[in-house]
Amino acid sequence: MNAIDMGVLLGLLPDFGTAALRTLALLAAAVAGGLLIGFIANLARELGPPLFARLYWVYTAVWRGVPFLVHLFIVYFGLPSAGLALSPFQAAALTLAVYSGAYFAEIFRACWRAIPAGQIEAARAAGLSRRQVFAVIQCPQALRAAVPLIANQAILVLKESALASVITYPELTMTAGRIVAVQFTYVEPYLLLALCYWLLAAAIARAGRLLARRTAIDAMVKK
Amino acid sequence: MNDTAVPMISVRGLGKSFGGHRVLQGIDLDVRRGEVLTLIGPSGSGKTTVLRCMNFLEAYDEGEVRIRGALLGYRRGPDGRLLPESERIVAEVREPVAMVFQQFNLWPHMTALGNVMAPLTLAKRMPPERAQKLAMAALARVGMADRAGQRPGSLSGGQQQRVGIARALAASPEVLLLDEPTSALDPELVDEVLEVIKSLSRDGMTMVMVTHEMSFAAEVSDRIVFMERGRLVAQGTPDSIVYRPQNERVRAFLQPWVRRSLAGRAEPASINPAP
Repeated sequence: MNAIDMGVLLGLLPDFGTAALRTLALLAAAVAGGLLIGFIANLARELGPPLFARLYWVYTAVWRGVPFLVHLFIVYFGLPSAGLALSPFQAAALTLAVYSGAYFAEIFRACWRAIPAGQIEAARAAGLSRRQVFAVIQCPQALRAAVPLIANQAILVLKESALASVITYPELTMTAGRIVAVQFTYVEPYLLLALCYWLLAAAIARAGRLLARRTAIDAMVKK
Repeated sequence: MNDTAVPMISVRGLGKSFGGHRVLQGIDLDVRRGEVLTLIGPSGSGKTTVLRCMNFLEAYDEGEVRIRGALLGYRRGPDGRLLPESERIVAEVREPVAMVFQQFNLWPHMTALGNVMAPLTLAKRMPPERAQKLAMAALARVGMADRAGQRPGSLSGGQQQRVGIARALAASPEVLLLDEPTSALDPELVDEVLEVIKSLSRDGMTMVMVTHEMSFAAEVSDRIVFMERGRLVAQGTPDSIVYRPQNERVRAFLQPWVRRSLAGRAEPASINPAP
């Protein structure tokens, strides 16, 4: 078996560097959008009228119950017939944001629910409004608890972003595929592709751990 | 109407069901200003539910609860039926009532001071400087001023409960509801909390308390109410309920406590043996 050709590998780096930046851009847009959508969905469920709770259920059920690739096809190939043509990046970022938003919403819901009911009762008994309970009692604790789960979900978003290659957004996976098609070398591009994803995922996990440690309530006690 | 003539809390025909299970029925009870009233009874008798109905943490479904004469939680519709009242009005009516919880229910992400200040700055919209002054005074009242900057996680159970009491006191309530305030505490931490409650009763604070600390209840209460199976069975002075119970159920309920007390040092020496 041939060893990995270092010359080939080094030659791939510039293309992969550019592609990694595109993957990062997609990831950043999707996670930022997804967090915003997820937070608003949870806010509406917590504080809105009962109708919002039902809409929340429909949104999370539909978007978590259908494969991401199917959503992506509908948005990229289907929306143009409704008069909305998006670029591959726009379509991928939008779909990934709405898709991950459903998961982020569920993370927020779980973290909101995890706050002991007694704390909420104490706040209500002390005269705090529902909004104040949400903002002052639930938010600070639930968001802290959500940090590791958000990091985990961001890693899943990173890996789903590979599917943007199917609609020709030239991120990491598409770049690797193109190189393979042209150069007929398989090992180096795909190994490098795997390494890139793994490094990005490891970076996200580490950032999540650091942020969780930084924001822990116990840590603040010792300060 | 004369202010002192209206009971602090007035309960009439109170009933409550969870699902098909009736946990309270036909409760009539008045809490007078300055009175310390204690609810005792076996587990599941409805003591805590009565207490929770008194500030509408539990919505009752029969009868009515009035705070200083104002109906709590509902308003009368044109046909005389009870309609749910808005969140804002409920908060207004329950304002004179503060609650101390069995599990303290402090907010762990805030300091002791933050816990006591939050109801003032948020519910009462008080400027922070004034709120801090009142909160520090309340913490001093329970002997916790030197721990103001600590978070609940670094305090003992007894200290947490004292902060819980300070949080309830800071807003100058007219009546304090205490739901088994010492039940979650290690035995050696009970006294520090009981001392605080005793000093409040000496200062004339109106209190309604659920407790299993019989000696303590007998010592601080003006009136003790015995409940069983969602009903009010007997009530009277500590002497007539705890030391000379006439009611058979009350006597049976207190029996284990009497035995323990006699085994220790003959504390309730005046107890009447069953004839």
